[in-house]
Amino acid sequence: MEKNPLEPRPLPPSLRANRVPVGSPLYNDMVEFMYDEAELFDTLRLRDWIAMVAKDIEYTVPLRHTRATRDQDKSVVRTVQHMYDDYRSIMLRVMRVMDTRSAWGEDPPSRTKHMVSNIRVYRTDKEDEFKVHSYLLMTRNRFDHDKFDLIPCERHDVIRKTESGYQLARREVIIDQAVLGTPNLGIFL
Amino acid sequence: MHQHAETTLRDGTTISDLINHETREVKVRALSDPELYELEMERIFAKTWIFLGHETEIPNKGDFVTRDMGSDAVIVARDRDNEIHVSLNVCPHRAMRVQTHDAGNTNVHMCIYHGWAFKPNGDFIGAPIEKECMHGKMTPKEQLGLKKARVALYGGLIFATWNIDGPSLEEFFGDAKYYFDTLFLRTKGGLEVLGPPQRFRINANWKTACEQSAADGFHTLTLHRWLGEVGPYAKKPDAEGKGADLSPEMYGSEVWTDHGHALRCIELDRKIVRLTGKDPAELTPAEKLTVLPPPGITPAMVPELLERFDDGQLKLMSWRPPQVGGFFPNGLFEFIYLPQPDGTIIGACALHAYIPKGPDKLEFMNWIFAEKDTPPELKARMLRQSVQMLGTSGMVEMEDSDTWPHQTEVAKGAMSKTITMKYQALFENGAPEGWPGPGHVGDGFTKDDTQWAWWKYWHELMTSEK
Repeated sequence: MEKNPLEPRPLPPSLRANRVPVGSPLYNDMVEFMYDEAELFDTLRLRDWIAMVAKDIEYTVPLRHTRATRDQDKSVVRTVQHMYDDYRSIMLRVMRVMDTRSAWGEDPPSRTKHMVSNIRVYRTDKEDEFKVHSYLLMTRNRFDHDKFDLIPCERHDVIRKTESGYQLARREVIIDQAVLGTPNLGIFL
Repeated sequence: MHQHAETTLRDGTTISDLINHETREVKVRALSDPELYELEMERIFAKTWIFLGHETEIPNKGDFVTRDMGSDAVIVARDRDNEIHVSLNVCPHRAMRVQTHDAGNTNVHMCIYHGWAFKPNGDFIGAPIEKECMHGKMTPKEQLGLKKARVALYGGLIFATWNIDGPSLEEFFGDAKYYFDTLFLRTKGGLEVLGPPQRFRINANWKTACEQSAADGFHTLTLHRWLGEVGPYAKKPDAEGKGADLSPEMYGSEVWTDHGHALRCIELDRKIVRLTGKDPAELTPAEKLTVLPPPGITPAMVPELLERFDDGQLKLMSWRPPQVGGFFPNGLFEFIYLPQPDGTIIGACALHAYIPKGPDKLEFMNWIFAEKDTPPELKARMLRQSVQMLGTSGMVEMEDSDTWPHQTEVAKGAMSKTITMKYQALFENGAPEGWPGPGHVGDGFTKDDTQWAWWKYWHELMTSEK
């Protein structure tokens, strides 16, 4: 099928035959990448995180639609999305928060925890790129709120091995809500 | 003419006590009072025209989406004759929600509770076991359909109202229609949605978002200050203004109507000078539109604009086009020009609806548009830019969605609710010389008149019966 120009480039498939065994050195590298990244997000070290991001990244968060069981292929919408970023827009987000004193939506910043689990790693057609599938539960708290915004989602990433370490080359975050329960995505997932 | 119906709230306050017409003040209490909320659902959302979506969301016969008219759930569906219908999404049998999906295609909307079935136009088809007559013999089948709203299409935008005999959509738009035409009726092909709307919920009263949508220009200076610091409007050393000063962006004309619609018509002259090096006064509208076409329009599409619009509207579109504004009660439009690092400008076209979900909650819906005839590559760029700047992850609008909950919460204080919000910055001059359009018009730096008009119409509806 011809690619819809409104949609981002598709991710490589998660083929069982290409699974990287849990506990193997490559698997452990990917787990460490995920944990390090979560820590950088939760401690506002966004400049350090940018160093882990490839220049050709596409970072997308599709919409979800409540659809019949037989129409589940239509439950993930990839034209209009909640987030549709490239390296330049990601840099702008980081500069907004780190280099100005007026990014009020995240200043004072949210207190977040990125809890990553259910990590599965797959080899792809490209020797230096790995597909990583994980679950993410993010808790977000602002101001004096006693309740948390919960953002449960799954992430489909492509991690690329480079001379300067691993880099995030593609991310798609599929959230488990058709209507988000947080006032914005001023944070990274 | 509406009849006067002054409602007294439980503590003896009247609705008119909340608004001071002479000093242009509104009691903070009005922002998030549960008693007022109930009245607003009846007197505003069940009475005025409500924006529900765009016909390109449901292009095929049988297509439907589910939406909200204030506190009421509705089905928006296209029938076999290609007509669009809006029906209450509540089964007339036992009040179950009939359609539980966000979207789909069907010629039979069957209630999953007892099996009553309805056509896309809301008509009752029947109940299971026809011969046993489950629906009884008392109410005729013709009266067992879903309650139907009155529908009007404008530029493909779908509006509906429960006010079956009230004013037409055109009458409701009033003087705003002249301006809306330059946004929504620009091409023969028309606008199209680039996908379904984003949806997310904010712990804020709908009015915090909607009174801002009535063309609040001032908030840009402070709440969106970052735009001048590192964003797309960041000031180059040789540009006018200094540092993060966004004030040059605040000049133009503002238009408001007696029905609370509002438009900020922001001047393009500085952009035209930057792009051409020429005095805009020496360029014709056609030349200016070709250098800086409206969002979603390419230079190749400009001849169609010249054909479709009169000299006045072309002057408006090339000088001070409506870029941001609101349609009463809960819609916002953005047709904005986003400067790119390479010096070019990419447009973004978006509509928002702020759906009331209780006194302290609203749902933000964001539709992203282009013209059907916009080249695919430009559509793709417009889509990405719009998502990056507006809506859920929009770097501009996330400041707004973080502000409205604070207003909603503090408005509950025993003392706080007695103080007032002030709309006292008034235009002291009318329309600029040669202004082509109708309506109430102010010229110069942004002012409060548009938002005041919004509150005046809110008050009119809240104190009206019929």
